[in-house]
Formats: sequence, structure tokens, C-alpha cells
Amino acid sequence: MKRIMIDYQKCDGCKNCSIACMQAHRETQGTVYDLDLTDPRNESRNRILKDADGQYKPLFCRHCDDPKCVESCMSGALYKDPESGHVFYDETRCGSCFMCVMNCPFGVIKPDAVTKSKVVKCDFCVNAGGEPSCVASCPKQAIYVEEV
Amino acid sequence: MKYVIIGAGIAGAQAAKTIREKDNAGEIVMISADTHVHSRCMLHKFIAGERDEKGLDFTEKDFFEKFNIDWKKGVRVEQVCPQQKEIILDNGEKVGYDKLLLANGADSFIPPVGELRKASNVYGLRNLSDAQAIVKEAQTAENVVVIGSGLVGLDAAYGLLERGKKITIVEMVDRILPVQLDVHAANAYQKLFENAGVRFVLGQKASEAVCEADGKIHKITLDNGEELACDIVIVAAGVRPSLACLEGSGIQCDRGITVDAGLKTSQPDIYAAGDITGLSGIWPNAANQGKIAGENMCGGAETYTDTYAIKNTINFFGLVTLCVGRIQEEEGDQIQIKEDKTQYKRIILKEGRVEGVLLQGDISHAGTWQYLIKNKIDVSKIEKNIFDINFADFYHVDEKGQYEWVS
Repeated sequence: MKRIMIDYQKCDGCKNCSIACMQAHRETQGTVYDLDLTDPRNESRNRILKDADGQYKPLFCRHCDDPKCVESCMSGALYKDPESGHVFYDETRCGSCFMCVMNCPFGVIKPDAVTKSKVVKCDFCVNAGGEPSCVASCPKQAIYVEEV
Repeated sequence: MKYVIIGAGIAGAQAAKTIREKDNAGEIVMISADTHVHSRCMLHKFIAGERDEKGLDFTEKDFFEKFNIDWKKGVRVEQVCPQQKEIILDNGEKVGYDKLLLANGADSFIPPVGELRKASNVYGLRNLSDAQAIVKEAQTAENVVVIGSGLVGLDAAYGLLERGKKITIVEMVDRILPVQLDVHAANAYQKLFENAGVRFVLGQKASEAVCEADGKIHKITLDNGEELACDIVIVAAGVRPSLACLEGSGIQCDRGITVDAGLKTSQPDIYAAGDITGLSGIWPNAANQGKIAGENMCGGAETYTDTYAIKNTINFFGLVTLCVGRIQEEEGDQIQIKEDKTQYKRIILKEGRVEGVLLQGDISHAGTWQYLIKNKIDVSKIEKNIFDINFADFYHVDEKGQYEWVS
């Protein structure tokens, strides 16, 4: 499977990846120049964390080999696609219980900010040809796609 | 090899899928009283009319065909006979097995109060059949009494509110969700339910309930003498593992079926997973147990290690809450609270370790708390506000790009 690899020491915290993710998943048409960063519907699926020393640590869904979010999903909305190995989310099946949020040991998943009825989760930009927008936007090559 | 699985909940389904991944040729038979595969966590959506039977199915499309599973539905297991290596069903059929998984779950516990156990309008909320019966009864009912204000009791009320019923919830303790929440967080839900028209009677127990001529209970009497009119009674007072069919089988049971770390029972080639073990009532744990039992039924040597089960998420009226670990304050605790109009967060710290977390309103990225609590990780050296601790403080990426915890 393809995974977004992370070389966190190269990350300088520019958050281009987060903007790219918001742009890739916005509901409205438009370019990054009219992307409304203050609209809570425009949420990034990735996040740049900082440790106590100020080091940036990119938090991106790993599409784990043994995904704990899928194991906790009581509706069947989250599933590991046997073809690509990626963990996908079918919003229409989601029961909004948020056990996936509780069970991801890395804290990747969150409920959506507006309706609190679905989760916000990386889809590997499958609707944009499966080339993750975050990776394309990283100026430091701190994230890159590799076959694992 | 013939694998027989009793139960079509997540433990059974997960085991069947795991077995098929390991053994392409083996025969897999699943047996369930349920006639629809369904997620018990979504029964309130059925009661509310939001989803139909099919909408409760948690398995992938064409599950039984895809994994070549022979599903016998609508039948119960009457007896398990380890000597003969067979089970006897309530239709008289005998089914032989090489490996057997007991994943037939638990049953609602109806306390022996008055004639609750005898009446025809008293329901638990455990199976789709319960929800179907409640919906049917609700067509003519007006008043509903729910006994118990835990998650199942509130689920029932939440669903029935959509049908415009007058609902009274009786709780022994002086606040709702006493197992999961502190007073502050519980009050938030109480207000939301009250605003929607639900009445709570707290600190009271049902003491008398008598069947009338129609076989139904139309009045519940409480400890304080108050009488509550009712057309339906829903009892949400916990569950008990379904052990009835094991009588005389020699399978060792305590609260649930006794299993070793590999989820084997005391009898050869018989495994158990899910609520019937009494190990945990939590979905992810049941799924995990199903997977491990399935592996081991195919000759694996997996062990059930991620046993932590003091964890819940709650979502009513769009107010979400996550609670992991201890809720009650003890001597020597350091309690940290963060609150504004959108959220309430409470952390119990003891000797540098997080022992309990309660987050209400905002549970974003909160999965790390479960890991911190169950692994008793020392956070005292991290120079951060406790609420800002996150996976960055334990971050490692392995050569395959997967995250690992280091501390």
C-alpha cells in the first residue's frame, strides 16, 4: 500500500499541508485564494503538532495495518479497503458515536466542528486521483508518498 | 475443518471474517437468534424511525456470500455438548463442529421488582427484536417509563422522543449517567433531555409494579410512594451474559464464560468472545476478541491484551462527551478543569499519571488519552499545560511509516 511517510525533522511548521487539505476538501468551488480559513466547515484532516521543546510533529492518518478506528466502528462506516489498504469513511453509514475518536491511539480523528455528526478523516485524496494534496504542497519534503 | 460461531454480533462477525482470511477451504457456520445483523449501538435510531433494519447492519456488503459463511438465523442454541462436539438448536437440529465460538452475547437484566418480569409491555433494549416490539407498542402508547439513566436508558428515551412520547426516567442515584460522568457533565445532558420534554425522577427506585387484566403494567410505584402512569416500561438496568445454553456442558463460567488469554474456554476446541465473557461491554473490545478468537481457532497463538474497558463516548443532541478511566475523586487526586462556553474538560492526575479524563463539547484528537491512561504513562516530566499534551510528546515513526508511542 501507499503511505504518506513523515520525516518530521524536516518540518518547519509552515502548515501548507493543512491549507492544501482544507482546499482539497472544501465544499465550495474556488482556488486557494478564496478559501475561507475562518469557515469551520473547512477543516484540515492533518495537523502539525508541537512537542514541549517546540519541535514540529506532523499528525497524519497512517491508514494503519491494524486500524483501531475500524475496530471501534459500530456502524461499518470506517473500513480498510482491501485493494489500496487505505482506511475509508462512508459518512452515510456513520452512527456519530465517535468511538473511533476515542480509539485512535494517536489522536488523529476528530468530530466535524459544525454538525458533530460525522468525523473528519484523511481519504488519501481519493477523489483527486489518490495523490495527496498535502504531499504536493510540502516545500520541505517532510512528507512524501512511498509504497510500503 | 468446520467452524461454528454462535452469535451474529461484532465478536462473531469479526471471528468469521478472520477465520476466512486464514482458512479459505474451511466450512463456517454462524448461528443467531437475530434475523438481521445489527449494531446494538444504533437501536435508538431504529426506534426514532431514522433507520430501518438494513440501516443498522454494520457488516460490509454481501458479507455472508463474500466470506462464504452459512448463516442460520432465527434459531437459538439450546445445548452445547463438548463430548459429542455438537450443539443442539431449538428447532431440534444438531450441528457438529471442529472448532466452536461462543459469541452469543448477553441478555437484558430485568430486576425482580413487582411483576416486571411477567408483564407483556416491559422491554429491555438489547436486540433489534426489542426495538421492533417497542415501536409496535409505541403506536398506541402515550406514557413511557424508563428504569435506569445509563446509556441504554437514555438511548431509549432519545429514540422515543422522536415519536412524541411522554417519558419519565427513574434513576436510583441522584444524577444521571452516574457510571460515566461527574455531576457537571451529567447536568448538561439532563438539561438537554428536560428541554426536550423528558422528566427525571432521581434518587428513587421502582418498588411495585402490578400487571392489570390485560397483562400489562400501567402504573409503577416508587419508593417515595409516587405513582407513574405508563403504557410501556423500558428497563435499562444492565445485562447478564447469555449462559443458559451452557448448562450441563461443563464449560466453566463465573460472571461470564471463563477464558484464558487466548480466549479458550475450559473445554477443548471451544472459544468465547464478546459480551458472553463478561470481560467488557465495549464494542472495540468485542471486535478485538472476535479477531483473536478467530485467529486462534485457526491454530494461531494470539492473546487478548488490550483489555482496557473503562471508556465511553456519548452523543445526544449534538453534545459529545468522551470519558476514559476514573470519574470519582479520591484522596490524593489532583483535579484539573478547563471550561468555557463550548467545552468542559476534567482530568484526574495522581502521582504524575492521568487516571481519568472527561471531555465534553470538544473531543477532537482525544484518542491519546486512552493510551496514556491505560498504559499508566508518567506525564510529570512534560513541561506543558496538561490539556496541551498530545501525541507529539510520545512521537515516533517506524520504517514503514506507522506511528509508535515512545515515553
